[in-house]
Formats: sequence, C-alpha cells, structure tokens
Amino acid sequence: MCVPAANPIAMKCGVFLTFVASALALAGAADAGVSVWFVEGEKPVSVVRNGTTIESAVRQLIAGPTPAERSRGLRSAVPRGTPLLSVTASRRIVTVDLGARFAAGRDAKALRGRVGQLVRTVRGIPGVLAVRVLLDGGVPVGLFPGYDLRRPVTAAVEPVHQQTTMRDVQRQLVDLGFMAPSGLTGTLDTQTSTAVLGFQKWANLSRDGSLGESTVAALERATRPEPRFRAPGRRIEVQLRRQLALLIQDNKVVRAVHISSGAGGKTPTGSFRVYRKERYSWSVPFKVWLPWASYFTGGVAFHEFGSVPTYAASHGCVRVNHYDAEMLFGFAETGTPVSVFDEAAV
Amino acid sequence: MTSHAAVRALVGGIGVVAFLVVGAIVTALVLVALGLPAESRADDTPPTPAPIVEPRPTELVVALTLGDPVLQAGAVRDGQVILARGLEVDIARDLARRLGIPRVRFVYVRPASRLLAAKVRPWHITIASIRPVRAASAVADLSEPYLGTDQAVVLRRGLPRLTALGDLQDKVTCALRGSDGARAIAAAVRPAVRPILAPSNDRLLQLVQTGACDAAVVPAGTVGRFVIDRGGLLGPVTARVELGGGYVVAVTRGGPIAVAEVDRALERMRMDGTMHRLARAWLGIDPARLRALR
Repeated sequence: MCVPAANPIAMKCGVFLTFVASALALAGAADAGVSVWFVEGEKPVSVVRNGTTIESAVRQLIAGPTPAERSRGLRSAVPRGTPLLSVTASRRIVTVDLGARFAAGRDAKALRGRVGQLVRTVRGIPGVLAVRVLLDGGVPVGLFPGYDLRRPVTAAVEPVHQQTTMRDVQRQLVDLGFMAPSGLTGTLDTQTSTAVLGFQKWANLSRDGSLGESTVAALERATRPEPRFRAPGRRIEVQLRRQLALLIQDNKVVRAVHISSGAGGKTPTGSFRVYRKERYSWSVPFKVWLPWASYFTGGVAFHEFGSVPTYAASHGCVRVNHYDAEMLFGFAETGTPVSVFDEAAV
Repeated sequence: MTSHAAVRALVGGIGVVAFLVVGAIVTALVLVALGLPAESRADDTPPTPAPIVEPRPTELVVALTLGDPVLQAGAVRDGQVILARGLEVDIARDLARRLGIPRVRFVYVRPASRLLAAKVRPWHITIASIRPVRAASAVADLSEPYLGTDQAVVLRRGLPRLTALGDLQDKVTCALRGSDGARAIAAAVRPAVRPILAPSNDRLLQLVQTGACDAAVVPAGTVGRFVIDRGGLLGPVTARVELGGGYVVAVTRGGPIAVAEVDRALERMRMDGTMHRLARAWLGIDPARLRALR
C-alpha cells in the first residue's frame, strides 16, 4: 500500500529506508503538535503536546502528565526517568529503544498499560504502521503481559472493559445469576435489559436498564449477590428497598430477579411460606389472570405481569417479568420459606 | 621350606580364615604400593586414567526459554538474555551463589524443545519449568523439584474454608479445559456436580468471581497472581490438591556441575526460607505452604 505523499514519514512503496526519527520533520503536523497518551482511570486519554518528531512525542510521554493534567486525574504507567536510547524508523515501522527501567515493577496492569501508551503515542503519528520496542537493544520476551514484543506491534491492547461485547455482558449477567442462560443472544434485547435492571438494583446504580459505562464497569467487578440471612435449604428473600427477589439454595443465591412489589408498603414484611400455587390464578378484586402465581401470604403472590417497573407499583403482590416467572414458579415449591423485608430495617 | 609347606604350617597355626584375611591385606598393600587398581592386575591391562574433573567455572551458564512474566522473562540480544527476571531467574542466581560460582549468564533457547533436543548444549543448567519426564531424564540429570505442580483451590467469596477433599464434592468446581486442574478434579475430587471446564484463565477466574463456580482448581504456582489481580473479588486460596511432581533443574551431563550439588543447594534454599521468600515475592503465595486436602 502506498503512503500519501503528504505523510510526514512517507516512503515510496517497496523502498527500504532507515533513518533516525529525530530527523523526521513532521511536515504539516508541526502546527498541530503530537498526541501523547496517558490514562484516566483505565481509559486511554490523549493530550496534545508541542513537538514535531516521534522522538519528542516519546520524550513527552516519558515525562508524564503535567501537574494540571494530574489534578484532572491523568496518570501514566511509564516510569519517569526511563532512558530513551534511540528512535529509528524503517518501512514505516518505528523502533523505540528504551532503558531497562521501562520494564520496572511487577504489576501486570501497569506493565501492559505502559506499552499501550507507547504504542498509541507512536502509532498516532501519521504514517506509522507499527512499533517495535527494545530494551537496552534487546527484544523483550514475556516482560509485558498481553504483548508479544518479538515482533512489531500494530495496536494497543484495549483495557478489559473496552473489549466487552454484548455476549460478554450477557455471560456476566448469567454467571452472576441475574439472567437465565437462554438470554445469551449477543444482542441487547428486553431480557438483557431486565437482567441489567436487576443488576443495577443490586449494585445501587441508577435503574435504567441500559449498559452505560458505570454499569459495565460495575459488572466487571461484580460478585454474586449474597443473601441477607443464612439458613439451610431452599428459600426466597424479597428485598423491598432494592426491589429484588433472591432465590437461594443452601445460602447460595441461584438467581436474582427484578421485581415490583406493592406500592406504598402494601406487600407485608415478615416470614412466610409458599402455600398455594396456580398456573393461572384469577384475581377476583382486580379481574385479571395472574400467570405463574405462588401465594405466600393471604392474597399476596409472586406472579407474572406485563409491567414490572423499577419501583414498587403493585397492589401488594410481587410482580415478576415474563422471562423469570416460570422459573420462579418452579423454584417456589409449596412450603418454601419467603422472607420479605426492608433492607434498611433489618 | 616350600610355599606348600608354609601354607600347611599357617593353616595349622592360625586357621584358614585368618590366612585369607592376612592374604587379602597383603595383596591390597602390594597393589597400593604399585599404584595399580585391583582389577588391572588381574587381566594385566594398562591402568585407567583418572577421570578429568572440569574446573569450577567462573560463570554459571543457564538456559532459559522466557515468556512467563512471573517465572522467567527478559530482553534478548544476540541469543543472550541481557535483562532477566522472574522466580526461576532468581532461583538460578541463588543456586550459582550456593555453588560458589560468582557470575551467572543467561542464554535464550527457542523453541523450548531445543533445551533437551539440542546435540550440543553450551549451558550448564536449564531452569525452565521442566517436568521430570522420561525424555528429559534421558538427556540430562534432573534435580529434585524446586516448585511443585500441585493444584490450588480458589473459592468464591462467602464460602467457608475447606477442611477435606470431600468438602469439594458437592460444590460446582471448575478448571481450565485439558489442564492438570481438570485431571485433579476427575481423579481426586470426583465431584457430584458436573464441573465447568473453562477455555481460558480469564474465564475461569470470572466464573469464580461471579459465583457461577464455587471452587476453581488451578496450578498452585500461578494461583497467587490471579488472586492478586482480582483483588477482593475472590475468596481465599484455601488449600491444594496433591498431584505430586514438580519442576526440576536439568543439569547438562558431562559438565562441571553435579546434580547432587544442585539438590543440596535447593534443599538449603528450602530450609533457610529462601525458596519461601522468592515464591512469596513472585507468585504471591508459597504453594508449598498451602495445606494439602485429603
């Protein structure tokens, strides 16, 4: 592939050239400066610096963020004071030779992060196809997790949360117990949104069912919900504040289900047992069929309902969406203990 | 007096046994005086030259394969490892010191199969996660293991510590597909619940983090880094399932280093806490100190 002539390190196709990068005049890029990459949290962030050469970009990367940038939360995984031994370019592959200090430390994330910063910074310069990293003139082998630096690198390894696909998110929701394995579809559908809502309730995030950055980040660090009480066997905890039902087997939450309980505290709190189950239950006062109904006190039951909002909205029953209703009905055998409580009160 | 008569006199005087003992001593003394080994006198062959003992090297040459950030990694220039680090690197350095060799030079050997297959091995020892399999022992002298290959058990959060192997039987166990951990589950745990076999380490640890799996069975040598990477998202590394065996140092035959010396040095490293310190530093935990589940 030919490089546009305006490219700062343009070379004719097939012509092999090697030259010191500091000699490269980044014509046209001089006014714009160079982009140097740091991180904010785990997110790569670029800042523009004065400079016209690859070498100046790498030097400014090593120098790290300015105090003002630091106060904005920008950080660098590149050790300050790392010697820059040489920068050369050949066939649009830039070789950066750094001192051994570049490999200092044992933290895998930091080691991976600094190579990512270097690759982004150098690759950001127009015309650069790949970056070869050397340490004291030697080829790093195994020093930087996630990178095989025995050959030139064309792209930085993305932080884990930026690699997340919809299927990854769904798998995480299934693993955590917020969704049935049948929900692994690879697309953001209503079943996934419902599971996301359940997770958001558990993690005390804003309840919108969408996969925003905070939800995805929280999912990555999430562990399985823990029951409030410990008791052997099969039971259900209904957490009114979170609007969640936890289906528990021997103190392990097997499923966490997004629910909507009685508005204005109409669902009674206390310890009950499932005493009646009906595949279709006719609600006399409200004249409506309630599919998959499991009654646990008086006329209060878990049942499927078309509308399961993020807040307490029913007349006292515990509404469950279409995706979870049959599963909950199967779990809640007659005699299964049900604890209904306001988390703030227990 | 003829010799026959003398013998008879001796037999009569001190007995056959005493005669034989004295005879043997006299023979040995004569041989020592002549400087000949006993067997050479019998067939009158020329004396065998004394074995050439290679002088102690001033530099221990260690072959590495690199590639593992924790066990051994580095930078390579012209086949020499100019920057080496990792648990196995530190063990090699400590070994050299204990063997009285002032310097260590690391050479990079790729592919790893060359370590044992190469006809010429211009290195004294190899330390590269070698298992004492027949192919290895056929071409090199193998030390005692410096790092066990037992499997560690990492629990999901909220589970109580295990006290016996039987505690795992009703749990959802998981391991890397095709790994020693998977074999340990099948052979030692024999779970009542079907185990989950993960395609990657990331997935495996995610399963434990999310509670989809109650207990992951992973190599004890690598479990520490996973737990550290995942912060408090996992439960404790609770114990290990014994499989026996481990990684050994391969000592090049005919070289100046004897495997017995290496074994003694490794034993001293274990006894004085060096191995524990290195394991803690590089692996996060010392697998040898995990309680074995039975």
